[in-house]
Amino acid sequence: MSDSHAAHGHADAPGNNSPFFQHHFVTMTQQASAAKLGMWLFLVQEVLFFSGLFMFYIIFRYLHPDTMLWASEHLLDKTMGGINTVVLLFSSVTMALAVRAGQVGNKQHQVTYLAITIVCACIFLCVKYVEYSHKFHMGALPGHFYSYAGNIPGEPQTFFALYFCLTGLHGIHVIAGIIALLWLMKRSARGDFGPTYYAPLELTGLYWHLVDLVWIFLFPLLYLIH
Amino acid sequence: MAAHSDPHYDGLGHHISPVRVYWLVFAALLVFTGLTYAVSFAKLGPASLPVAMLVACIKATLVCTFFMHLKYDERFNLLVFVSSLFFMAVFFGFTMLDVASRALVDPIEGYGVYEQYNPPAAPAEAAPAEAAPAADEAPAAGH
Repeated sequence: MSDSHAAHGHADAPGNNSPFFQHHFVTMTQQASAAKLGMWLFLVQEVLFFSGLFMFYIIFRYLHPDTMLWASEHLLDKTMGGINTVVLLFSSVTMALAVRAGQVGNKQHQVTYLAITIVCACIFLCVKYVEYSHKFHMGALPGHFYSYAGNIPGEPQTFFALYFCLTGLHGIHVIAGIIALLWLMKRSARGDFGPTYYAPLELTGLYWHLVDLVWIFLFPLLYLIH
Repeated sequence: MAAHSDPHYDGLGHHISPVRVYWLVFAALLVFTGLTYAVSFAKLGPASLPVAMLVACIKATLVCTFFMHLKYDERFNLLVFVSSLFFMAVFFGFTMLDVASRALVDPIEGYGVYEQYNPPAAPAEAAPAEAAPAADEAPAAGH
């Protein structure tokens, strides 16, 4: 393998002796930068994917500001949303520190920070579970499943369609993140990542920060309305 | 390789932020979260949405700049990301132009908005109850 790399004339470039160096790249730096561009393009797609639901939010709020206000004030718990915000922000720091541990080649720190990130993601989902089951019990559900006894003005069944779509899609992203983080933890423990190869850590980090970004907007838009 | 001896750069020549930076950014994010939470209790009325969105944008910028390394990354990645925000703005902007003005030409498809331009039912129903005072004042207004 190293023979074929030597043929490039860049065999002495950092990381080119790594088993993860792919033959169609000239240097490991080029490989990492191509991978990162690909990830950013994926994140662009994610932003536009979520923007469809944010568009739903804007139109609904424009047409039924009273429903939005009432439902948010009476049926969404600001404190639960706040706790989840802090948990997710904390998981973003630990994710960033896991990437940094990859950059400096500290295996122990990679595994520890990834584990903390996964725990935070699970706490986030547990809080979401409590919130969801509360709404299920009250019948605050989308469309014709809606059976809440309270008198909410406007179209509450549409509000809950919006609420469950937005938080549900975000929740699915959190679950996907946990799966990716578990895979990373296995690879970190095996010692795959170091100063010249940490792209999987970095790219998953970018994804995880985007999930955090979406929540940074969802929290005030859904929970903190006045 | 000289890069290895420099604690600020990794094996690929990419910038390594000090641990302290990450915790400082986290502290700033917590402060802004607390701020937006506290502000939600102050009845700001119509100003509450712009304030909440401003705080969210500041938080998002912090995450992008430091956690996602856009400050040290290739500029092209920043351009790619900002392009998504541009197209999102086009999407939101043109859709709202339609939603907010459709009632001008189509009262049925402009459901919910039409009423804002043509307040219909409420005055019509209230008319009988207030017919007498309205009748008294109508001539006065006429003169």
